[in-house]
Order: sequence, then structure tokens, then C-alpha cells
Amino acid sequence: MKVIAANIEDVMREAAARWTLIAYFLLSTLFIIIFASAINLDIVDGALAGAKLFGKEVDMRDSISIEKLVLGFETGFSVFLYFICTFLAIFATAHLVPRMQEKGTVDLYLARPVSRVRLLLSRYVAGLILAGSNVIYLMGSIWLIVAWKTGVMNPRFLLAGSIIFLVIAVLLAFAFLVGVVTSSTAVSIMTTYGIFFFGLMLATHERIAAAVSEEWQAWLIEGMYWVFPKSAELGQAVVAFVGGEQLPAQVLEALSPAPFISTAAFGAVCLILASWLFTKKEF
Amino acid sequence: MTTPLIEVSGLRKQYKSSFRKPLITALDGIDFQVGEGELFGLLGPNGAGKTTTVKILLGLTHATAGHATVCGLPVRNPESRRRVGYLPEGHKIPNYLTARQALSIFGRMSGMDSATIAKRIPLLLDRVRMGQWADVRIKKFSKGMTQRLGLACAMIHAPQVLLLDEPTDGVDPVGRREIRDLLREEAQGGTTVLLNSHLLSEIELTCDRVAVLRNGKVAAFGSVEELTRQTASYKMVATVMDESLIATFRETGAGVERSNGHMVLAVKDVEHLNALVDRLRARGGMLSELTPVRSTLEDVFVDLIRADQVAGSSVGAHE
Repeated sequence: MKVIAANIEDVMREAAARWTLIAYFLLSTLFIIIFASAINLDIVDGALAGAKLFGKEVDMRDSISIEKLVLGFETGFSVFLYFICTFLAIFATAHLVPRMQEKGTVDLYLARPVSRVRLLLSRYVAGLILAGSNVIYLMGSIWLIVAWKTGVMNPRFLLAGSIIFLVIAVLLAFAFLVGVVTSSTAVSIMTTYGIFFFGLMLATHERIAAAVSEEWQAWLIEGMYWVFPKSAELGQAVVAFVGGEQLPAQVLEALSPAPFISTAAFGAVCLILASWLFTKKEF
Repeated sequence: MTTPLIEVSGLRKQYKSSFRKPLITALDGIDFQVGEGELFGLLGPNGAGKTTTVKILLGLTHATAGHATVCGLPVRNPESRRRVGYLPEGHKIPNYLTARQALSIFGRMSGMDSATIAKRIPLLLDRVRMGQWADVRIKKFSKGMTQRLGLACAMIHAPQVLLLDEPTDGVDPVGRREIRDLLREEAQGGTTVLLNSHLLSEIELTCDRVAVLRNGKVAAFGSVEELTRQTASYKMVATVMDESLIATFRETGAGVERSNGHMVLAVKDVEHLNALVDRLRARGGMLSELTPVRSTLEDVFVDLIRADQVAGSSVGAHE
């Protein structure tokens, strides 16, 4: 526990000193402010009389209920938050391993009576705490603003943060693996973003596999689909989770366990591999 | 020797710099032991295997063959590092921390509780003359100050063994003496100190025993006293040291060199030396200092390296 606490303190102090923490939360605050000022709702006697989003009048001819409007808005905004939270988290934490592995620094950490696996996992936990606190800050603030402006509280929007957190945890595990192998922050960030986008493209794996000429290519596409994180499916799962039963059945299908399990397994394998390589690595 | 706290036996390390290149032998079966409370120096030219030895002792790199223990525990066991403090060469203590924060973080990583750390930090910072810099960010420190803090970080958990790589690097002469005194105090308290330095005079002034590594092997081993053997030269300081006196000395077959207000006399034996003293007195000179000249550790080191180069070139000539 002392080791984890020491690593968390180290990571947080570094983030604060290098402006990462400030920039991370400043950007998040900027999104929150823009969001807060973008919603203008006119509520009369508990009913929605008119609404403006980013200065545009919302068509109220179908006498939409305020609950439905909030749900629709939160559902749409959750996709945006999925990308923002994930991108900011990787940018703020991908340096944790490469910087620790720098010559003259790594010796100071490894010369302590801590196993290498424990040291690496402590930094992983520290990174997750940093990223997780930002997810809570962003989603919590937006949830509070919506609740304050409309009086509608949708706890599913808050809980959707856990799916985003899972994706961050998996991508951070991959960033750690790349960090252990290459000791490069830039490569860690590039490859992690790359795998995230690759996951989005592989959502159309069936169509790609049908279009290739060789059978082995189709197998390769299918194989990659099941190995890599399901960024697209988990993004859809965030939307489905926030929207709930109000959404069409085909959207709700995204909440099936397979993408969650295979993505979590990818993260676990990355973390195990990173730990094993870190143990074997010579400094 | 007292109970050995560092034991190295048949230690061998080979690695490949890249896939297609041949194996490089960094250590070729070295053996040594360092006892409790001993100040031990590890010397050698660049690439001799000094840092590799220290890194194996810390588990930073793994030996190809042989074994090494620290405080009786194999070096692969992380517990062995609970008793070891390490100051790496060119260390980079995170510069966003203050001295107090760095000591606190590394103390906790060494398994210490916060209350003990809080008590130990001011004492330790005072010992390395950094007491007034406790709450200043490390990025504001000079190289010498960072080095002192590095020493404090190595000592935070009161280790039984200190492995120090160039501990006086960047430290001014007064600071160097303070660090030497500190290391002696630690050794008197029972801490074993292994010093890895290029500053041979530092090693000579600090260490009880040394091992000189060359091409991954122990080329010389022993106490500083044994290695810096006495020669047949004497340093003489006298009231008269003019050219005619030197000429008189040379008539006897003595070698005479003048430097910095003294003469270095190379004589055959004690009778020869006394004959020179008689000649000095006969010319009305007064003797104020006469001391035997010992070879320095640097002389021993340079001789060993030169011998190696000569052997290397003769092998090359045969080939």
C-alpha cells in the first residue's frame, strides 16, 4: 500500500508540476463552460416551453417532454464525452512508463525493495486514478449542469462513465506495454490512438472480410476484430446505456457482453505482457 | 575481514549489443567479498565492468553465470534491496519534487512508515548539509546539491550496504571532504560502502580495500596500503636546494627531480640516502622534511592499464 501511495503521489505531483494536470482539467472545464452556456431552456410550470442549443432554436412542434429532450441530449453528448475523455486520458498518462525508464531515473525506482511487477502496476493504478478523476469531473459536472438547468436527473449518464473508464483502462494497459518496449512517450501515444481508431474501423469487419479476395485475409480481419479493443462497439454501448429502453432495439444490442469481455481481455493481456517484459528488461 | 555483506562469485555477464553482433563479455568471472563496515572501492577504465557489477548487485541487470548476494540474500530477491542504498551516476531525481517530497516518496517505496520518514528527513538533510533546502524544488539545485540529495535518498532507509557511483561528482572540494567524512561515519556505524569512482584520489582517501577491474576481470585486489607500495624514492625539503647541491647528489648516482619546492630523490638504499643527507649538511643546509614516496593508486591504475595495452599491442604484432 505504501508503494502504491508513493507512486500515486509521485504521478500527481509530476502531473501538477508539468502542467499536465492543469491543462487536463482546464480543457475539461472549458468543455463544461461551453456546454453550460450552450443550453438555454425555457421551463414554465415544470413543462418545457422552449429550448435553444448552441444558439439554435429547438423545434417544439411535437411537444417533446423535458425528460425526453434531456435524455436525447445526454445520449448524443455521451459520444462526444467518450472521445474527449479517452483522448485526454491517454495524452495525460502515456508518459508514465517511458519517463520512469529514463536513464538515471529507473535505477532510483528499481533500487527499492519493490518487485518490478508491483512497481509497474502501482504506476498503472496511479495513471487510472488521474484519468478516472477527470472522467468523474467531466461527466459529473455535465450531469450536475443538466440537473440544475432542467431538474432531470439521469443516473445512467453518470454510470456510463464506467464504460469510458474501462476503455481508458484498456488503452492505458496498451500504452504501458508500448512504453515498456520502446521507452518512448510519442510512440506510446501514437500507437494507442492508432489502435483506438483501428478498433473503430474494424467495426465493419464483416463487410471488409466479405470484400477481400482470399479466405486467409478474411480470417485475418475476423481475428484482428476479436483481438483488438472494440472502440466502436463500446462507444455504441455508452450511447445505449445512457439512452436505455427509449432507444431502438438494434442500438441496445451494443450492450451485449462480448465486446466488453474481449476488450477487457485485450487490456489484461497487455498488462500481463508489459509486466513480464518489464521484469525481464535489463537497465 | 568481518562478516561479508557483499559476496560476488564467478560473476559473468555477456550480452549482445544487437541481434547480428557477437557476444560482448562485460564481466568474465569476477570474485570478491566486502565485509561489514568496510569501505570498498571499485576501479577500472571505462567499460571495465564496474557499473555492470553494481547493476547486478541491485538486480537492474542479470548475470549470465555465477552468483551474487547482498546481506546473505540473492540479488534477484527484491528483499535484498531493503538493506541497500544506491546512488547511481548521473541520477535524475524527479526535479518537480522538493528534497523533502523526494525523500518521503523514496522512503515509502523502501517500506518505511510516514512517521519514521518525517523524523529521519531533517536529520539526514542536515547530515548532507541540505537542511535549509528541504522545501525547495530540486530543479533549483546545483549539481553538487543534487548529488548530496541523491546521497540522502540512498540513505533514507538506513541501509546496511551503500552502493555509490561517483558520489562526489560535481561536488566542490569542501563538499567532497564532507561526503568522505560522512561515508567514514557510516562505515564506523557498521554500514558497508562500495564506492565506484573515476576519482582515484577519492578512492585512495576513502577506501580500505579496492578491486581494479580490467576487461571484465579483477586485475588487482587488496588494501590501498598493499597496492600503493613503497618505492625507493624520497621527498626532501631542505633550506638549500640549489643547482650545485643537486649536482653533488647526482655525482653519487642518485636520481634527483625538483618540483614545487621539494626534491624527489631516487636512491639505491638507506646508506645512499644518508650519504646525501651528509652532503646537504656539509654545505650548511638544514633538513626540514624527508619522507618516503609511495606510488599512488593512480600510478598503480595507470601501470595496470599500460601493461594491458602493451600486452594487447604485442599480441597484435604477433598476429
